[in-house]
Amino acid sequence: MNRRRVQIAVWLLAWAVFASASLAQEQAQKKEPAEKKEESKPAGPQVQDIVINLYNPCGVAVQPKTGHVYIADSGNLRLLRFTPGKGEQAPSIAEAVVGFPKDVYGKGPKYDIGPLGLLFVSDNLLAVGGGGNPDGKEVLWFFDVSQIKDKPIQTDAAKYTAGPIPPGEKTNRGEGNFYALTLAAGAVYVTTNGDDTKGWVARCPIKDGTPGKLEPAIATKPQVEVDAPVGITTSPKGKLVVGQAGEINVPEDSLLTFYDPASGKLELKLETPLYDIVALAYHPKSGTLYALDFAWMAPDKAGLYRLDVTTGEKPSLKVTKVLQLDKPTAMAFTPEGELYITLIGTAKEGDKYTPGKLIRVSGLK
Amino acid sequence: MRKLPLLVALCVVLLCGGRVRADEPYELKYPQGLRPMKIPQDNPLTRKKVELGRQLYFDPRLSRDNTISCASCHDPAKGWSNGERFATGVRGQKGGRSAPTIINSGYNRFQFWDGRAGSLEEQALGPIQNPIEMDMTLEEVVAKLNKIEGYRKQFQEVFGTDVTAQGIAKAIAAFERTVLSGNAPYDRYKAGDKKAMSEAAVRGMKLFFGKANCAACHSGPNFTDNGFHNLGVGMDKKEPDLGRYLVTKLEGDKGAFKTPTLREIARTAPYMHDGSHKTLEEVVRYYNKGGIDNPWLDEEIFPLNLTEQEIKDLVTFLKEGLSSPDYPLVKPPQLPK
Repeated sequence: MNRRRVQIAVWLLAWAVFASASLAQEQAQKKEPAEKKEESKPAGPQVQDIVINLYNPCGVAVQPKTGHVYIADSGNLRLLRFTPGKGEQAPSIAEAVVGFPKDVYGKGPKYDIGPLGLLFVSDNLLAVGGGGNPDGKEVLWFFDVSQIKDKPIQTDAAKYTAGPIPPGEKTNRGEGNFYALTLAAGAVYVTTNGDDTKGWVARCPIKDGTPGKLEPAIATKPQVEVDAPVGITTSPKGKLVVGQAGEINVPEDSLLTFYDPASGKLELKLETPLYDIVALAYHPKSGTLYALDFAWMAPDKAGLYRLDVTTGEKPSLKVTKVLQLDKPTAMAFTPEGELYITLIGTAKEGDKYTPGKLIRVSGLK
Repeated sequence: MRKLPLLVALCVVLLCGGRVRADEPYELKYPQGLRPMKIPQDNPLTRKKVELGRQLYFDPRLSRDNTISCASCHDPAKGWSNGERFATGVRGQKGGRSAPTIINSGYNRFQFWDGRAGSLEEQALGPIQNPIEMDMTLEEVVAKLNKIEGYRKQFQEVFGTDVTAQGIAKAIAAFERTVLSGNAPYDRYKAGDKKAMSEAAVRGMKLFFGKANCAACHSGPNFTDNGFHNLGVGMDKKEPDLGRYLVTKLEGDKGAFKTPTLREIARTAPYMHDGSHKTLEEVVRYYNKGGIDNPWLDEEIFPLNLTEQEIKDLVTFLKEGLSSPDYPLVKPPQLPK
């Protein structure tokens, strides 16, 4: 019975994806006069809805060789796999991993959450930051996605887990909510939430493709005096780039910070006009840094931003808004420079569908 | 020939007769532990403006019945608060919240417990117009002060105008920015003087930044994250004060109030936004039990499991470690006539 329900749900989801995509194309064709094709091409980045009706999606990763897009459909406690269309082959979506534990996050609105940050550690090994367990019991999951065939696998089929980080000398309540992940200097670095006097970035070494022990590595708050590391990525020079989200009810308090992964030493701290940086990513071709701002207290400020950092004696930061977005949570570039972004979205009163979606942004530089 | 500049300088000094120029900058001296403050570009600190602000701050003529000044509720002798549970205004009227300290308020991102003012300038005119505080309209207070020659003259010097509401706000804000507390035993300890605090205070400091979780919100040089948090205080009442929510209408802000500075905390009792806790011991015990549960309780409020000794040590740190020997005790000036 459950399997049948899942099949129906997947079918509905897939139908919704195709219906949305085709509708967008039809509208574009109707608006475009034949004789002015060149002039009417949009100059800025183009945005396309890819998967709709997601429930609090909080993570996304692109598999390096296949181009498959994995989505943390967090509120539904599962991972989805989106396969982009190619030639005659239609795009498809399927459940990949199900059965993640559930927690409730926030004070208003309250969000059901399960899996959070996603990262491909190697061609097939997908790391998943957990968010559904209490602080001190949360784990980092590692799945061999080549093992996922026609049916989704359960979380207990994970190839490895790392963690938890229980209460102890370094963390007064244990760590949880593994928001975002990046790979640097032979280890997975994870932004965590738990001991807010420290604001830990945790480290999980990867040796011969096998994860080691997950441990608190960089206490960000004593160094920057602002709360909550959330967004994280690795710079082209191998530095850890951490977005310190700040307080959700304080405007323009997010920081952009750079750490040496080996020593954990803060190398650069830049104030930003952003509210809550939740994701960071470098464009794979241009090396341009982008950030997502969730902006809990001012949704009109939320969106995708371009961050141009000037280093030297007087480091500076230029911030440019690229797109207005509705509660963005995570992003991942394809090797070609297309950007996938997950959005929680705003539910309409009485709406029986969840408003979360995955969008694809093309034309970024 | 080289003596000429010296002679010119001497002449200038003699001609000025040691008088303060209207635009002579006021140089803020930051005590150890504090960082440079962001001063609004449209309200630079000048010596004359700060002095004018000091007079306005202490002047009860800003209230309807000439009984209440800013200093009535934010008294330098009482930690720049009033030592009472609530603020008291004209005709003995009581407000519903305690009077927050002015100390280091120039660093605050928001003013008032609910953050409804984004700057000291914006805040300064609020109590004047509040019917249960000073009970004046801006038109009335401007007209009243313009009848005082000493104020008219100073406003002309500082702002080039008669008394205006904007000028009142700027002058009071400028004065308030000079009320600083730093160089506390904690600052000296942090700077390397390991004898600056007692052993009990050092143990309390470690709890503050660790097990007791205080630094989750009371962080940075001014011991505040400038955010708003629901600690559960008063949330068990039939109609609780919803704090920040009344300003933003965001569900997650219900019952949340601004994180206050902890500098000079020993002088600013009673505590919490409603002055409901008389002592720091009470405050620490409240946190230790995990606050009062409610749907919007901050995730940073949870039972701490502190021992009796740890409670004592933490209170010692708060009292001893954050009290400066250079407390900013400003005396009331002579008011203009």
